[in-house]
Amino acid sequence: MTTTPTTHLTDTQTQALLLKLTVLADDEIILAHRDGEWTGHAPILEEDIALANIAQDELGHAGLYLSLAQTLGGSDPDRVAFWRGPDDYRNTRLVELPKGDWAFTMVRQFLYDTAEALWLEAATRSTYAPLAEIAAKAVREEKFHVQHTALWVERLALGTPESERRTQAALTELWPHAAQLFQPVEGEAELTAAGILPDLNAVHARWTDLVTRHLVDKCGLTLPDAPTTQPGRDTHTHHLAPLLEEMQSVARQHPDAEVW
Amino acid sequence: MTQSQFLSSDTQWPRWEVFKQDAPNRPHQAVGSVHAGDPPHALVTARNVFVRRPAAVSLWCVREDDILTATPEELATHPALLDSPGEAGTYHVGVKRTNKRSMTFVDLSGTVTADGPGDALRQAQSLHPDVLAWMVFPESAVVRTDEDPGTVESWFAPAKDKTYKQQQHYGVIGRHVGELKRAGLMPGRAASEEGA
Amino acid sequence: MTHPTPAQTGITPGETAEQHAHFEARIARGEKIEAGDWMPAEYRRQLIRMISQHAHSEVVGMLPEGEWITRAPSLKRKTILMAKVQDEAGHGQYLYHAAETLGATREDMLQALLSGKAKYSSIFNYPTHTWADVGMIGWLVDGAAIKNQTMLAGCSYGPYSRAMVRICSEETFHHKQGKEMIVAYAQGTPEQRAMAQDALNRWWWPAMMMLGPHDADSPNSGVLTRWGIKLKSNDEVRQEFINEHVPELLEAGLTIPDPDLHQDEQGNWRHGPIHWDEFWAVIRGEQGLNKERLGARQHAHDDGAWVRDALQAYTDRQRAVAAD
Repeated sequence: MTTTPTTHLTDTQTQALLLKLTVLADDEIILAHRDGEWTGHAPILEEDIALANIAQDELGHAGLYLSLAQTLGGSDPDRVAFWRGPDDYRNTRLVELPKGDWAFTMVRQFLYDTAEALWLEAATRSTYAPLAEIAAKAVREEKFHVQHTALWVERLALGTPESERRTQAALTELWPHAAQLFQPVEGEAELTAAGILPDLNAVHARWTDLVTRHLVDKCGLTLPDAPTTQPGRDTHTHHLAPLLEEMQSVARQHPDAEVW
Repeated sequence: MTQSQFLSSDTQWPRWEVFKQDAPNRPHQAVGSVHAGDPPHALVTARNVFVRRPAAVSLWCVREDDILTATPEELATHPALLDSPGEAGTYHVGVKRTNKRSMTFVDLSGTVTADGPGDALRQAQSLHPDVLAWMVFPESAVVRTDEDPGTVESWFAPAKDKTYKQQQHYGVIGRHVGELKRAGLMPGRAASEEGA
Repeated sequence: MTHPTPAQTGITPGETAEQHAHFEARIARGEKIEAGDWMPAEYRRQLIRMISQHAHSEVVGMLPEGEWITRAPSLKRKTILMAKVQDEAGHGQYLYHAAETLGATREDMLQALLSGKAKYSSIFNYPTHTWADVGMIGWLVDGAAIKNQTMLAGCSYGPYSRAMVRICSEETFHHKQGKEMIVAYAQGTPEQRAMAQDALNRWWWPAMMMLGPHDADSPNSGVLTRWGIKLKSNDEVRQEFINEHVPELLEAGLTIPDPDLHQDEQGNWRHGPIHWDEFWAVIRGEQGLNKERLGARQHAHDDGAWVRDALQAYTDRQRAVAAD
């Protein structure tokens, strides 16, 4: 892996980076949407506030990724978010599953936040300065998310028998999907070789170590076996289509609108 | 509906007073409170509730049970407050100085070494005889955010970028109020305020 | 002959005229009353009633707009709406804190809300039909709320006043983002314009009514005014609201649904008769979404019970470990 600054992207690199940025943004948009469903309905008033914070941060990250994508020839961020259907979204199934109970939401957020924090931390060393800048900005927020969600997962796992059961059930369901976060996009190897993107395998290894220490050693949860192969990010559950239908309903009722 | 509802009543965790410092070298100020089960929970919750907007560089949380507060009127009617027993050690002193509109209660203004909270209150009173309220609590009761750059960056700095939450972000929309007034479309003062 | 009640006189048996004179002199001097100071029992009771009602309004107030977070038409609007509804939770939190300083507990206040014993602002029982309602709520409902809150920021009870100062500083953003939306839609596509006008048609009168009954019909105003809790009458606050909003709405090219609306010689905008029957029906829960709103809160409360139990169990365990 090189550390020489990347000042010019080849066409292949540009296409691969565009795809990667879209993939990253899709995860953020869909997860923020699911988190936003809690606003007004959280178990404690203070957590309405906390989750709305997290959702705003994730949506902000999507904006950063899509704005960078736009400079590389991508479409307007709102166009990307509101005018693509489920066949074109490239988010993981991890983030599109319904919000479930509080344990499900916190475990999912923990798995996601830890992965994002580690990836962003590595991406701050990207040879491509615009990406390094975005990562430096976003990683600060993710570090706080990790503290919040790690705290909650611990309290739920070590709370009552009911909360422990719910937390384990959430982990069992989510764990196989989390592996999808570490699937490379087409052309990612070349970007990694050029030092533009972090080495996903290395991030994956650090993530496995970090989440195992918290979930197993500290919280006493059991990690299920993950299936060895995962379908790609173009394969969705039946939950994504209705989510997008709702999310895009107002925007699509007004195709001529220029300002929102 | 969950089974737990029938097994126990809902819980109310202890209240923690939250002190926020806006900038280095500024005093921590009492901004409100949070309910939390333990110190890390209190701090994380305080950040979520009180750092939605800038500015902050540090948060302290102190359990309500560890705090002694008094106004001059209270001391006059309950002088026994000055004998409140408790551990000896370093105590933080907070004071409220003004009746002007404010979103904070006391400013922390320093520490004293005291035999207990009552003694700390007595010292606070003699150090600041003319204030509107005193607050004291032992240093040992304080839980605080770390001061390392990483914590400051992840807990406090991001709020500065969330400009969409700040009214200045929106500027003047439509015609300026002054213009509407000059055009006679908006009275200078409400009728109700005239002669008030 | 019946004796006047404490709610009318402010004096509860056992309290002396000297105590009241001292208390009212402090308020007249512009002093703030703090939690530990002597206060009439009726002052405490009225404040707990008002502050908790206000807190509940913020919490229930998350619901009508919260429904649109999942449908906001742009990334920017979605982020702003989440921040706004989040603020409402935060404002509820500040206000519960203020009421707690008077000895009320969060649990009791929540129970009073869920059981229907405590009220909240009936404005939140109106349905939100279109996306433009989000903008109109920001502009009109929050605009009206700010008028009230600015007044309360000067009230005599320290903790309530401080919560209000903090809330006002944040709430101005709610007003501005709503106004920005509506002004933009009023100049947007014909459909956007129609949506903005329709929202105004439905929210104008509820916003006027949310500032409370006419002064002559306002049952609690007497002692609240005397004790510096309410510094202006409902009609005064309403007049300020109208004077500020009418020119701006007209400027935006919208039509205000009041054929009698006009400016008097002083330049004040005068409104036509308000249909209070509807207001009282909504207050009584006969109209609007009272059941749905409380149902949603009850559901969140019930669904969250196991979470709160878990946190308590974790805390107990930590304490037991520490004690060993």
